[in-house]
Amino acid sequence: MLPRLPGGRLTDQRKRFKQFLSPSHGVQQRPVSLDDVPENAGPRAAFRIYDDPELAATFSTRDDQDLVHARLLIGGISCAACTWLIEQVLQSIQGVIDARVNLQQARLDVSFDARILSMSDIFARLDSLGYRPRPFAQQARREHLQAEYRDDLRRLAVAGIGMMQVGMFAIALHAGEIQGMEPQYAGLLRWVSLPVAAVVVLYSARSFFSTAWRHLRHGKLVMDLPVALAIGLAFIASIWATITQSGQVYFDSVVMFTFFLLLGRFLEKRARRKHTEAWLDAEDELPGAVSVRNGEHWETVPRIRLRQGDTVLIRIGETVPVDARIVLGQSAVREDSFNGEHLPRSVGEGDTVYAGTLNVEGNLQAIALGTYRDTRLAALRRSVDIGGGEKPRLARFADAVAAWFVAGILLAASVTALVWLQIDPERALWVTLSVLVISCPCALALATPAALASAASALRGMGVLVRGEDALETLPRCTHLLFDKTGTLTLGQLRIAQVLPLARHSEAQILSLGAALQRHASHPVASAFGEYTRDSEGFDAVSYVVGAGLMAQRGAVSYRMGSIAFCREIAPALPDPPDDDRLWVALCREGEPLAWIGLDDPLRGDAGAVVAAMRDTFGLHLELLTGDSSARAPRLAAALGMDIPGHGLSPEDKMARVRALQHSGARVCMVGDGLNDAPVLALADVSFAVAGATDLARTQADFVITDGGLQRLLDTCRVAQRCRRVVRQNLGWALTYNLTAIPIAAAGLIPPWVAALGMSLSSLLVVMNSLRLNSPGRPIAGGPMWKVSTS
Amino acid sequence: MESLYLLIPIALLFCVITIKLLLWAINSGQYDDLDKEAWRILADDDPAPQKPAERADGKDPNA
Repeated sequence: MLPRLPGGRLTDQRKRFKQFLSPSHGVQQRPVSLDDVPENAGPRAAFRIYDDPELAATFSTRDDQDLVHARLLIGGISCAACTWLIEQVLQSIQGVIDARVNLQQARLDVSFDARILSMSDIFARLDSLGYRPRPFAQQARREHLQAEYRDDLRRLAVAGIGMMQVGMFAIALHAGEIQGMEPQYAGLLRWVSLPVAAVVVLYSARSFFSTAWRHLRHGKLVMDLPVALAIGLAFIASIWATITQSGQVYFDSVVMFTFFLLLGRFLEKRARRKHTEAWLDAEDELPGAVSVRNGEHWETVPRIRLRQGDTVLIRIGETVPVDARIVLGQSAVREDSFNGEHLPRSVGEGDTVYAGTLNVEGNLQAIALGTYRDTRLAALRRSVDIGGGEKPRLARFADAVAAWFVAGILLAASVTALVWLQIDPERALWVTLSVLVISCPCALALATPAALASAASALRGMGVLVRGEDALETLPRCTHLLFDKTGTLTLGQLRIAQVLPLARHSEAQILSLGAALQRHASHPVASAFGEYTRDSEGFDAVSYVVGAGLMAQRGAVSYRMGSIAFCREIAPALPDPPDDDRLWVALCREGEPLAWIGLDDPLRGDAGAVVAAMRDTFGLHLELLTGDSSARAPRLAAALGMDIPGHGLSPEDKMARVRALQHSGARVCMVGDGLNDAPVLALADVSFAVAGATDLARTQADFVITDGGLQRLLDTCRVAQRCRRVVRQNLGWALTYNLTAIPIAAAGLIPPWVAALGMSLSSLLVVMNSLRLNSPGRPIAGGPMWKVSTS
Repeated sequence: MESLYLLIPIALLFCVITIKLLLWAINSGQYDDLDKEAWRILADDDPAPQKPAERADGKDPNA
């Protein structure tokens, strides 16, 4: 079935819009007035700015056949089903030639016929599906990542095919050695292995040589140095052996080693790159189009053209585009971006509203105080960058030992060479080589990344995305666990907690009355009544009084719902609400108070259990960092057994608290959800963004919970601990193997092919051991498995 | 065993062809999104065949 929009097919709507608004270079005009702000023509109107050829040229091209190829960024894509839906729906629209979604980049490439469709049609259709389309900014960094990805893939492909080919020749050679093979055929097999291995070494393994050399020039020994040495020497020695028809060839080891190292690095890089795509700037949260007053008219212009002193129109339900001072109108704004709280702040003429907050009650006219760069939102964004820059990073153990290890291997190899030159100069090269091959730090180099990649994949299966794998190493060492309150420990939505009837009405009747009234409001309180609207009778003449509540008529009787003062105007007998930390809303009709309705933001179902487990089983020190300034926060903290260093904290206060803890030697794990938590998440040693977190918070967290509640925190901790154990086993094995094998090889007791086999098997063992992490849901036996080590 | 002198070059030729093919696939972007393709098999209802007809008569089948 072809999708329908309300009011017919897309093309019809477009025609209708063309008649309704005649565009002049992407700008629409409307009469000026606040009382009768033109009916907001839905999101479609906002997208019409993208029909502006100048703006469209920044993210699309138009060829000579009037085909437009556009590249859009789609917010809200989470899985392959989303890409399917988008592709299906777009491809079924008349005029769309092709639509392809790239899930990794959340990118849509769409081609359409400009004679049939316009750019805003595509945007509007995506918007109606529930996604957030935006122009895809061609960032140099993004381009670079893409190029790098393809380059890695090419190297891997060449190494993989080369490995298979050389491997086949090697099997023939090894079998020939055992069964006896005529030297001419052995020579042939060596000669054909050489060019294949040469391609792999010169093309695929080039990065090892360049990295090793780059660091060596600065006097640093890195893991790539013995890797490059082993590959280089084994390859050169094999060429020598092939030409002189002597010794042993190592082409298969060289190529296999290259392939497995490249594969490990490729998988690691891919997991890291996923979801770090910096497609989410805070600026993206803001509307793309803004209504600006131009003389007697309202013009819709791209937000980036806003200048200081412009008068902007902020409609109900819109996000404030820029920091601005209100000149006309009354409303309330939700500022959860800054303090995480969902109750709006009432604003009127002379007050300042901030970019990124949501206007919930009335239309506003305001004067822009500057451009985006001057806004509080931009400042918050900058502090995110600062927080990320300060984040302490543990140096990988493998990197730390690499220098010593490399020095040790080189020393062992030179000593072996010197000694064997005295004993038997003919064998010196081959024995030295087998020392280098057998001590090749392949297993050591793979030990940590293989375990981390495997743990990350296990977590992905549970609904936790791992952005920073380093965090998996850090997590078991955390001493402090910090929670945000609203949206993290609680659901972040108001719910009706209690109804206190004051007249003879039943609770159900009260709720039904309340729901019928609130149906007309967009305040967060109204959403709490959503589930009670089923059989509620309607009201006439419902009107909203900004900052007070709703008033309405049913027959001749007037009803009111809202603040105490507002309701007492018609029902003076209204008693005071109970004195607790709920939000109380009064409902009354003329002369008769009907009820007090208490709302609160309930805890997530598993919050209590998870917090207790974190404290008792894992011995973490818990703290609550909240922007909520009400008395509820300390009570909640006490009930859950958490410390609370203060409430009503700004993002800066939270960052200061984390810095203070880190300064005193603590390792801090932060769990949050909001825009305001993003700087803290970036600063903390380890951070979690819970399900439903804002995009900015997600981009800053090490772990993003995509599915499930706080229980995932426990799961992640368990996996991180198993991962830590596996890393230790891997490193232990790799070091033991090297330390025992080197003396034997140095003594000349190991034939070179055994050395090559040993090296491959030890790497294989490390990889297999790491894969155990991926076995789904195996419970870990034993009592308290969480030991906090402060070392 | 002389056949090796023929068979091994053939194997190498296949090897070169495979690498060429793979590089072409990578360069043309077929491996850019490894996440989605795994799911593509599950997506049904390819709408593409509908469209030529729809465009030819210029009528909207839903109208």
